[in-house]
Amino acid sequence: MRRTLRLGALATAAAAALIMTGCAPDAGQAGTADDPVELTYWAWAPNLDKVVDIWNEEHPEIQVTVNKQDGGDPAITKLLTAIKAGSGAPDLIQAEYQKIPTLVASDALADLADAGASDIASEFPDGVWDSVTLGGDAVYAIPQDTGPMMFYYRDDVFQQLGLSVPTTWDEYAEVARAVHTADPSKFLGTFSANDAGWFAGLAQQANSEWWSIDGDAWGVGIDEEPTQKVADYWGGLVEEGVIDNKPMYTPEWNAGLNDGTQVGWLGAVWGPGVLSGNAADTAGLWKAAALPDWDASQPSNGNWGGSSTAVTTQSKNVEAAVEFATWLNTDPEAIAALVTETGIYPASTAAAAGALTEAPEFFSNQPDFYDVAAGAAASVAPFQYGPNVNVAFSAYNDEFAKAAEAKSRQAFLDALTAMQTITVDDMTSSGFTVK
Amino acid sequence: MTATVESAPVTTRHPERPSRRRTQARRALVPYAMLAPGIVLFAVFMAAPIFYTLYLSFQKEMVEGLGLGSGSRSQVFAGFENYVSALGNPEFGASVGRVLVYGLILVPAMLGLALLFALLLDAKRTRTRAFSRTSIFLPYAVPAVISSLLWGFLYLPAVSPFYWVFEQFGWDVPSLLSSGLVTFAIANIGLWGGVGFNMIVMYTALKAVPSEIYEAATIDGASELQIALRIKVPIIAPALVMTALFSMIATLQVFAEPTTLRPLTNSLSTSWSPLMLVYRDAFTRDDVYSAAATSIIIALATFAISFIFLRVVQRRAFGQED
Amino acid sequence: MTTVFNSSPAERVASPLPRVDEPRRADAASRRVRHPISVGSTAVLLLGAVYCLLPVLWVLIAATKSGAELFSTFTFAPSTHLFDNIVELAQYRDGLYWRWMVNTALYAGVGAILSTYVSALSGYALAKFSFPGKGTVFKVLLMGVLVPGVILAIPQYFLLAQMGLTNTYWSVLLPQIISPYGIYLARIYAAAAVPTDVIESARTEGARELYILHRIAMPMMMPGLVTIFLFQFVAVWNNFMLPYIMLGDDRLFPITVGLSGLLNQGASQPSMYTLVITGALLSIVPLIALFLVLQRYWRVDLAAGAVKA
Repeated sequence: MRRTLRLGALATAAAAALIMTGCAPDAGQAGTADDPVELTYWAWAPNLDKVVDIWNEEHPEIQVTVNKQDGGDPAITKLLTAIKAGSGAPDLIQAEYQKIPTLVASDALADLADAGASDIASEFPDGVWDSVTLGGDAVYAIPQDTGPMMFYYRDDVFQQLGLSVPTTWDEYAEVARAVHTADPSKFLGTFSANDAGWFAGLAQQANSEWWSIDGDAWGVGIDEEPTQKVADYWGGLVEEGVIDNKPMYTPEWNAGLNDGTQVGWLGAVWGPGVLSGNAADTAGLWKAAALPDWDASQPSNGNWGGSSTAVTTQSKNVEAAVEFATWLNTDPEAIAALVTETGIYPASTAAAAGALTEAPEFFSNQPDFYDVAAGAAASVAPFQYGPNVNVAFSAYNDEFAKAAEAKSRQAFLDALTAMQTITVDDMTSSGFTVK
Repeated sequence: MTATVESAPVTTRHPERPSRRRTQARRALVPYAMLAPGIVLFAVFMAAPIFYTLYLSFQKEMVEGLGLGSGSRSQVFAGFENYVSALGNPEFGASVGRVLVYGLILVPAMLGLALLFALLLDAKRTRTRAFSRTSIFLPYAVPAVISSLLWGFLYLPAVSPFYWVFEQFGWDVPSLLSSGLVTFAIANIGLWGGVGFNMIVMYTALKAVPSEIYEAATIDGASELQIALRIKVPIIAPALVMTALFSMIATLQVFAEPTTLRPLTNSLSTSWSPLMLVYRDAFTRDDVYSAAATSIIIALATFAISFIFLRVVQRRAFGQED
Repeated sequence: MTTVFNSSPAERVASPLPRVDEPRRADAASRRVRHPISVGSTAVLLLGAVYCLLPVLWVLIAATKSGAELFSTFTFAPSTHLFDNIVELAQYRDGLYWRWMVNTALYAGVGAILSTYVSALSGYALAKFSFPGKGTVFKVLLMGVLVPGVILAIPQYFLLAQMGLTNTYWSVLLPQIISPYGIYLARIYAAAAVPTDVIESARTEGARELYILHRIAMPMMMPGLVTIFLFQFVAVWNNFMLPYIMLGDDRLFPITVGLSGLLNQGASQPSMYTLVITGALLSIVPLIALFLVLQRYWRVDLAAGAVKA
């Protein structure tokens, strides 16, 4: 044992010595065309590298390499591991808004305020800007896209059954009953215990405050009236059996989208990409509408997804990175390329207006698609994410999976309570001040 | 280097070679030199990570105030706190319980079938042996991530051919991924991937038995079944012990199958198996300290369970070495 | 199950004399020439083969379907889109899939060769030398079998990050060269296949130890070493966690991590099921070929020493 230990120490020391001599630290000076600044960028939006190619062509002095990631969660996991290890992080990362507090708490994101990011605040809606500043003076990321929620439905089935599009959740429940009664194999939607971001969006619409900052303390309000209302509503529909209880994004759900047993979907503005990818043959049969409201006189909405471009604390070229990120998310040429290549809904409202004129191909039957989307984006309620969204989200997966399996209204409320307890316990045991 | 082939049968031709003592001293170092690459790699990529895990398991991270901004987090000594909370975590106990049930289903089924197939392959009157052997072994080549994906397709009622058949018969079969059946569903993936490998292990052992033993038994009038049960099975007992040991270790470490199936169903939690719990703590919850403590507990438990087996194995397998 | 299992031990004891019924005699007579078919045992074995082939057949059929057909037509009804799917896969991100194939071959192939060599060195030393600390070294190495990769992956990441090697080929290759299981097998093979007097006589001839190992012992161990190679090849091929954690650049991914990424695109992207299924099919093909070519070497003697005693 002792020998193996000493050998291990030796080997590690030798390797460390090699590294020391191997690479000199980048001084972070401005690049030139001959000696460009090299930036790495972890992102998962499809075809983002094509947008970055435009930049690379125009800016020989700052060359950006996109490393394609597998969706938001793995990328953040890897980033946090790299931050802990002290090396291995990229310069730039595509970060979902709900990940920003966690990343900031782990000291993974550089403050971009002094690198010129403060100047572009006016490009973005206030609510979106708040989620990259966490309400303070620092700027931790530059918003890229948002995901205002929308209601997608099979127009053909609705017409066949003589149903009108629900505008309130009460109407949604009525329509759900009508659809399921007409054909017991059909559902207007499913309650997905696997998509915490989806449920968070629904809670956001109901004006929930899952996290809040009060001076030097965090408040956690998951198990409170607005979200209880949401959980109770869905628990009721699942208990009644008029809403499916299986997760989304499974082969089974895809089959449901194809064969018409899933008649509707509470998705977000990026929904056309998902629908066309999973059920290409149903093009032209779907329509999009605003999310049903709790109170028709007070329209409100939530976000599902949406991401920003952040610079990591391990980057040696923060200024160059900000220059690039600013271009990517505000320059009209970049925005137009983002829309056509990656299919995102840009956060920069001014630039978006010019780029989003024609409805996505999958919704060619609905020329006003982006008008509906603009309405959905305009009514998004403010929402604060906390430093342990990951814990709350995985608690959602576990607890609501049990509740959905139990198919009982009470189980949904119990799941919400458990989610609150797990979230608060995690924060207190880590030493956060929780009021 | 001198060639050894042509020289006459060797005795000690140069007993008084002057360098003999030095040669012997050098020879004493030979095994260490040969082991060196293995030991160094083991030390760097296994021992060092294990000790680092041990170190982490006694640490924790403390946050001050809002925990935002740099310097608000610090790593402090935690004593046995992580161990106490890991052992007191009902999720951990539940995951161990589930994996025990899973093992009780999988290990006997897998080894039983593997033994049956191995004996059938060894029986002279069985046909299609080459084809069957290759076919049964084939799933071993399919990574667990992919095998779980394709079994997932075969399990989900809306896309499964089995449910199509059930429907034709008018049977109402609950989803294989519902909470009552999901353990069987995962065990089936493990069985599918593992039965061929274990079959080959046992078949190899059977092949090593000199055929005179069988011929003698056949002359004595023993049937094939008798030969199988009374001669073949006892003779390959060491192989059975080893396959049992490795299957049990693999069972305790089940991870890829339930992780891949989890998004498809409500009946698998993120802490379904102990290693999923470790993964969730380390990666999803970003708490490597709890994950480290749970890892150490799992490793110690595995040692404890394997210890008896290892003793048996070492006595049996290495008894006659020099 | 007709013939193999139909004569119970009790029946045997009751009638020790050779049977006189016609078919049995025919059996006995023909045994010397050609063994008669046992329908029951053949059927059982074929049933096992079908069970193991069914999901593979599913992959084959599913790979012929378009994205929509995958979720709408009957599972085992083949379609005609196999070529389209392969083309689409080949074009995905400028042929990234082929790069994953090459990477996998590199990680699994080169990794397994190095691992086999290191295992052979250690196994031979443990089997054929006696030296102080031998028992301890073997026990400590063997304990490595018990440690799951998931647990090692995080600290291994920290370690390689210290060396600045994360997100490189090395980060996946190096940690998988050491294989306690391979050393264990190599020790068994060396003990069983290399007679001690052969080594002794070579030594008295004046052969160097490395020469004995490379030219005498390793050829004798060759079938076992091929098994270790295949075993380690599959282990690296199957290891998802290590490359998943170590690699940030998808151009370095092995197939498993790459395909899993196509599936888990996050909520706002559809999972690329057709690509994944076609990719899975294509990735199994070379492995099947490797298996078929080397299958006579698949002799995993876990406890050969005991049998040979």
